[in-house]
Amino acid sequence: MRVRGACVSAKVRITYCAECGYEPQTLALASALMTAFGGRLSAIELVPWLDGTFDVSVNGDLVHSMARDGGFPDAAAVVAAVRARL
Amino acid sequence: MRIDAAYFAQGVTYEAFKASMTRNREELEENERAVTLDPADLAAFRALPRPLHVVAVAEDWCGDVVANLPVLARLAAASGNLDVRVFERSKHPELVARYMKEGKFESIPVFVFFDEAFREVGVWIERPASVTARRAERRLAIYASDPAFGSPDAPPADLPDEVRERLLAALVQMRAELKPWAEREVTRELRELAQRTVAA
Repeated sequence: MRVRGACVSAKVRITYCAECGYEPQTLALASALMTAFGGRLSAIELVPWLDGTFDVSVNGDLVHSMARDGGFPDAAAVVAAVRARL
Repeated sequence: MRIDAAYFAQGVTYEAFKASMTRNREELEENERAVTLDPADLAAFRALPRPLHVVAVAEDWCGDVVANLPVLARLAAASGNLDVRVFERSKHPELVARYMKEGKFESIPVFVFFDEAFREVGVWIERPASVTARRAERRLAIYASDPAFGSPDAPPADLPDEVRERLLAALVQMRAELKPWAEREVTRELRELAQRTVAA
């Protein structure tokens, strides 16, 4: 779907450990993205995984990895990463 | 924070914890039924000179809790020598701060053993290191079994949906295959811990 007047080009995928209780952080980040971008995202995809994973990719670029970067991402940093790709 | 009889009484029994679960209860109870206790392990717990109090920090969403808390509960029920009370991690940050894995990870379950005077005699956290290591070995083997899975260090989100689903199924299957052995490892470590309390 293309939203009139918007550039629909960013797809965000959040891969989270489904056995680690990361659902609140996942939903909070998805909510922050929805609030910041509305219809300007082509998709926000939530992928349940294992092994303590919390990865965020934008158009295939890994912008945060718990294994690589430690901890959960700052929502503002993810928003900025998305904005840079719109 | 002092853990004494009054503090211990704030926890709930294993049965009450199960009754309060909002998810994974069926899987936890299936795990509980599937636990096979080795007679030698059980004898060791029955031979404890005095019952031990056990503070168990848990949450119903945690896979390691769902896998390992039933092992403790079965040992408690079968031996009659472990008095277990469950504390939800989210409601007891003081326990989280006190019993971090390697001093930095808020891992659960945490099983803390106390003697009759509430002197701490042993701590067990999350899962045996042997289980973590065996899973890691088998995970690498799974990645090596199919070039489509790519690098084990790459984020799974990079994989096409069909490949990622196949990989996830293989990882889940691997865990299921290791489960009986992993439970025996949990029992072995808890037995060793309990026996150390006697020696001390």
